Amino acid sequence: MRRAAMDRWILILALVLAAIAAVQGAGYVYRGHRSRWTVLWMLCSFLTQLVVLGMRSELRGSCPLGDTGEILLFSAWSLTMFYMVVGSVYRLSLLGVFTAPLVCFLLTMALVPGMLEVSPHHADTMDAWREGHAAFSVLAYGSLGLAAVAGVMFLVLNRQLKEAQMGAGLFRNLPPARELSDVVRRLLILGFGLLTIGLVCGLVMEKADGLGRHLIVALGQWFAYGILIGVEWRRGMPARKLAILTVALFVLSLMIFPLLK
Amino acid sequence: MELICIGLNHETAPVEVREHFAVPAEQLGSRAKEITALSTIAESVVLSTCNRMEIYIAAEDRQMGLEILQSHLAEGRDDQEMQYLYQKTGDEAKRHLFRLVCGLDSMVLGETEIFGQVKQAYQQALGAGATKGKLNKLFQKSFTVGKRIRTNTRIQVGPTSVGSVAVDLAEKIFGRLKGSHVMVIGAGEMSRQVAQSMMSRGASELTVTNRSLERAQALAGELGGQAVPFNAWEETLEKVDVVVSSTGASEPVLHAAQIESVRRMRKYKPLFLIDIAVPRDIESAAGEIEEVYLYDMDKLQHLASQARESRAQQVAICEAMIAEEL
Repeated sequence: MRRAAMDRWILILALVLAAIAAVQGAGYVYRGHRSRWTVLWMLCSFLTQLVVLGMRSELRGSCPLGDTGEILLFSAWSLTMFYMVVGSVYRLSLLGVFTAPLVCFLLTMALVPGMLEVSPHHADTMDAWREGHAAFSVLAYGSLGLAAVAGVMFLVLNRQLKEAQMGAGLFRNLPPARELSDVVRRLLILGFGLLTIGLVCGLVMEKADGLGRHLIVALGQWFAYGILIGVEWRRGMPARKLAILTVALFVLSLMIFPLLK
Repeated sequence: MELICIGLNHETAPVEVREHFAVPAEQLGSRAKEITALSTIAESVVLSTCNRMEIYIAAEDRQMGLEILQSHLAEGRDDQEMQYLYQKTGDEAKRHLFRLVCGLDSMVLGETEIFGQVKQAYQQALGAGATKGKLNKLFQKSFTVGKRIRTNTRIQVGPTSVGSVAVDLAEKIFGRLKGSHVMVIGAGEMSRQVAQSMMSRGASELTVTNRSLERAQALAGELGGQAVPFNAWEETLEKVDVVVSSTGASEPVLHAAQIESVRRMRKYKPLFLIDIAVPRDIESAAGEIEEVYLYDMDKLQHLASQARESRAQQVAICEAMIAEEL
């Protein structure tokens, strides 16, 4: 019980750190500056989330993806991780301004009573396929979620470019439109690859019992993302349309979570 | 030691006078050293740009320093030219230098090039042994002030001319312009300037078209592009990233339907259309196509004037910061 209480306190700390990143990042953007502090706060939040995941993993004796709270926490962690990676590669430090609120939302939801089991069942054996399915699927959500965040950034910039609004701090700090649509495209492909591995693990895992409802929905998502990537690759697509579809598909993908119970 | 500054700039002297006082960049150090050989002058820095020529000296006696430097400058120049020179001494000279490095005294308010030019002039004087304690301290301080003001104010933010707005927008759409293809319709002066800016920022291909093929060829030759006849430019539309149009036509020369017909072949890549013609060359419906960003003269001028106003609003803040540093 004491350990469970400790999980929550550390989770609250992770939420506070992400909230600082969100508020401070938005403030810098409003004043028209860039700041490395957002990345630092996000790194601290990332490490704190990792501590909570480690504690939950020890408590459960398996990958910490046994309840909705853990899935939300794992999603927030993978989103933060991709932000760190993509942020440094594409120098999109502003991504944090959009990512941090989403991480805050996921962590807040994980903290809602009942989301995190207080005394989870400690596993006696471990199913590698099940663990692999859960871990890769959540990592895929991180990548696809970040693609959606980059998509929102593109839509904001696209609107400002169309309406000739160059004065706002946000405009100066957003990366170029073509770079943003490239990020959307690359994260979609990465997310799709991870989702494919997760799905293969899930199909092997479920062989004995037939397909579960959430796997059927996951297959539908996989097809939808596959069609989007295929069409974009084959015949091209306006970047605005790609961004809207990426955001819409990610929002629709979230409906899989209630099916996990 | 007394600080003295004598010089002239774009506000006080016409270009034909400024060019008589100009000092070649490679001679700034030797000229500064030459001045320190004059009586009572211990240190000297000579600054010369296309808009100004200024000499900063540290002299043992203010009046004598002024007179000696004036008579040195008068050699080979007539009295009328000498009347264009201004003189500043003590804190006034110090304030002038600080304002200068911040771009407050520049033709384009807040421009950053002057900072590098002052630094180059100082380094050449330092290298030639023309500076000591007084000017070393002054110039080092001015660089600190310049950096502080550029970091803490928005004096340099935003493009202030139609050309720079267009280039900034292109970079906001495409990122680096390296590898971009620019097409110019109409070989006028304005489109030449915009195309030149795009090429200087890394655009790799340029196509020029004009009703007179000779003019198109001349502009293409000057900027390192290729000319196409006016009745064949539509074929290029499927490859270009940026179109700059400034013909004298009374009807639009680029229609939305022409872009619609090549969208698929372009794989819906972004297209930046800059219409600097009056009457407009590009049908406004083209701007409604998803991947097309259309800017006409009004929009570009509005953005440039917004940036100029924003910079002007920063002047009082900069002046207050300079006063703190004096």
